[in-house]
Amino acid sequence: MRIRLTVNGQPRTLDVEPRTSLLEALRDGLGLTGAKLGCDRGECGACTILGRGRPIYSCLALACESQDVPLETIEGLGSGGLHPVQRAFIASDALQCGFCTPGQILSATALLRRNRRPRDAEISRAMSGNLCRCGTYPKIRTAIRLAARKRSR
Amino acid sequence: MTQAKRFVTTTVEIEGREEVTVVEVPAFEPRPWGKDEGLDTVGHSVPRLDAVDKVTGRARYTHDIRLPGMLHARLVRASVPAGRVTRLDLSRARALPGVRAVLTAADLPRIPWLGGEPLFGPAVHYWGQPLAAVAADTEAIARDAVRQAKVRYRAAPHRVDLPAGKASLRTGHFGVTPPEIRREERGDVTAALGGADVTVTATYRVPAVVHQALETHGSVVYWDGDRVTVYDSTQGIFRVRRELAEHLAVGQHQIRVITEYMGGGFGAKNSCGAYTVIAALLSKATGRPVRCIWDRHEECIDAGHRPETEFRVTLAARRDGTLEAIDVDASIAMGVVGWPGGPGKIFQELYRCSNVRVVQRFWYGNVSGMEAFRAPFHAEGAFALEGALDLLAQKLAVDPLELRRKNHSTEDPAKQRPYSSELLAECWSSVTQRIGWGAARKRKKNAGRFVRGVGMASQVWGAAGGPPAYAVVRLNRDGTALVQTGTQDLGTGARTIFAQIAAEALGLSMKDVRIVIGDTEGGPYTNNSWGSMTTPSVGPAVRMAAEDAKHQLFEVAAEMLHAKPEQLEARRGRISVRGGASVTIRKVTEQLGDIMIMGRGHRGPNPSGVTVHSFGAQAAEVEVDRLTGRVRVIRIVAAHDCGRVINPELAESQLHGGIILGLGYALFERLVTDAHPGRPLNLGLHEYKIPTYADIPEIDSRIVSVADPVANHVGAKGLAEPPIIPTAPAIANAVFDAIGVQIRELPLTPARVLAALNEAG
Repeated sequence: MRIRLTVNGQPRTLDVEPRTSLLEALRDGLGLTGAKLGCDRGECGACTILGRGRPIYSCLALACESQDVPLETIEGLGSGGLHPVQRAFIASDALQCGFCTPGQILSATALLRRNRRPRDAEISRAMSGNLCRCGTYPKIRTAIRLAARKRSR
Repeated sequence: MTQAKRFVTTTVEIEGREEVTVVEVPAFEPRPWGKDEGLDTVGHSVPRLDAVDKVTGRARYTHDIRLPGMLHARLVRASVPAGRVTRLDLSRARALPGVRAVLTAADLPRIPWLGGEPLFGPAVHYWGQPLAAVAADTEAIARDAVRQAKVRYRAAPHRVDLPAGKASLRTGHFGVTPPEIRREERGDVTAALGGADVTVTATYRVPAVVHQALETHGSVVYWDGDRVTVYDSTQGIFRVRRELAEHLAVGQHQIRVITEYMGGGFGAKNSCGAYTVIAALLSKATGRPVRCIWDRHEECIDAGHRPETEFRVTLAARRDGTLEAIDVDASIAMGVVGWPGGPGKIFQELYRCSNVRVVQRFWYGNVSGMEAFRAPFHAEGAFALEGALDLLAQKLAVDPLELRRKNHSTEDPAKQRPYSSELLAECWSSVTQRIGWGAARKRKKNAGRFVRGVGMASQVWGAAGGPPAYAVVRLNRDGTALVQTGTQDLGTGARTIFAQIAAEALGLSMKDVRIVIGDTEGGPYTNNSWGSMTTPSVGPAVRMAAEDAKHQLFEVAAEMLHAKPEQLEARRGRISVRGGASVTIRKVTEQLGDIMIMGRGHRGPNPSGVTVHSFGAQAAEVEVDRLTGRVRVIRIVAAHDCGRVINPELAESQLHGGIILGLGYALFERLVTDAHPGRPLNLGLHEYKIPTYADIPEIDSRIVSVADPVANHVGAKGLAEPPIIPTAPAIANAVFDAIGVQIRELPLTPARVLAALNEAG
């Protein structure tokens, strides 16, 4: 079936099967491979993108049901330069293998958009759906605090 | 002209065994960087070179490779743990629109796989074993096709767990008669046990745990004419090339293996996987690129795990705490195949003790094969040894820290020779000071619902690295440099630190250095990224290549500066006569025009007569909920000795990584395999819990070492694996301190804590 998605502000048209997940549509249909498939059942958060500004597991959404939702992927963040959250991740070494990093950054971005100065417990709650096996959690926390400080200055 | 001999035959130690091997002697070895040497790039927290690619989603992992016409492979897997396939019907799968190829044993050359049996062979040895594969236009169609497969089995008896007691057992499937037993003893343990003042004996158990790298195992392979191009998520591109060449019966020159970015390995990606062979054969059959990637469930059943292990430990001591004997009987559940490494090593290496005996029983059974997992066998053994030591401290009524100090070894107790460097006592002091050890241990336990405790544990790890490893440094006309080496970056930061080492040796800034790794056609051989060997193995090779290029450059610069080459030094992009005239590196390379300077470097032999180990200690503070049995880790402090740190920020990230893996091992993780029907139950990350944000305590980790100029001329020892070793035993010892009862089985689940509290009354 032919569907129309709005990705990073651009209308995109593509052919999918009704069962195609939004993640597959982004990765295979549109070549946006920043979102990763780590589990394909909403367990790890590597596929996190933003839908209407909120983090969603794109592996659990159907592409054909995502047509009315403005979508934001890592490729669209900070177009024309790095976003402050991306810069904070680099400065804090908040990444190791980097596989979970796009999802982490989008969850952190969504958190900071709705909460300018999140407390530690709020960071834990907002971010606990994004798993990292390399153990970057302490540094991601540092990066989120750094990005919050920079923005509120 | 006479030249020094380049290849010499010598005896080296590999995995605890002495072997005669050929070693390449370097034409020159750079002078070791001193402990106080002022270095411009090495030792500084340079941001990761690939950080921008990783934060923007541009980094391309094996999972992200999309080639024109690419097909997707899925596997038919066994649904019994043992037996024989009597019928395998794939006719309906073959007929499905979009299916392009089907691969069964009949379509294969004989490829020796499990224990030498053929890949896809009819004998089944574990639930989930690959039996056949299909390639289709999409992943979804390939899944549909696999569901259409009809398989019948003649079932056979199976065994998935360690036998109770020490009864002999035959699985009867493999021709292996388990257990394979290895005994090692130094001194006379039986005599020492008889004469000791105090002994303690206890049995410790650790579960099977899964690596769970977020990027699952997989390859994309394109067999195009006589060329086989492999994109693989691997810790060893050269090993994959060698093994794949053997499996496919082609020359190594026909295969190119690429791992530009990799989503974690932790020890489970050290050889050529079935997915690579299957993708290659399907590509050959169809003439199209084929992608074969394990899904998360397959990652849990067929990608390796740390083995379930049981240790029976007896410690004997004098009344003053001096260890007289360590006696260990270890049973390791290897699965169908495995690597019998060194479960006894940590008992032999961590403390001074003249009488040490380890019996290691490697049991084989019907679960998928174990794989090395960050600090294999040491993480398991540390839980037993450090637990037994705290038990002994309790019996002797001495402080566990004092007991460790009493048995501190300032030389290698296993080989009875000096260390290249050793700061274990400094690590103990550092962690106990920061956790407030003395006061916390003396604190009276409150009788309320929540009770706190502190515990500590230590670590040792073979960290020398070694040859062979190679690097090439090419200088461009504009004074910039290209570094080429055949290693790979699992996420550790290898790409960044080798560029730092090259920049330092060349006297260039990081922005003028480009490094290419992760491509068998992009750089010369290095070993797998395993055993915490990469920095101490490849680092010296990269430095030597850069020094070689620099010396050639100095010959040209010397003429320009009217000086002798040996009077020159290079720093911050300039070559200068010490304290005098200077010229930019760019000016010298421009003078050369298109003449290209190429420096060649390789890793020389390890120093003889010394042991190169990394050391460390960690202390944990926990709070135990007496009502629910839940353990909350409040704080972990760590101190490690790994020689020179190339990049402090990246080193800290490694420490965090090891500690957090260790936290999961201590508190949640366990692959549960049901004895009947003989299959693992908790597949996936909902059922198999790994730590997330809300689980992370305050972590204060430090490196106490400066440099080890004896180990190698870069001064670095291995760091990646050591930090996982002491975490779980430190947490367990803290729980012991809190509740006064020792729990001798990981993970420390609420049920086990409650059972222990009941036992205490």
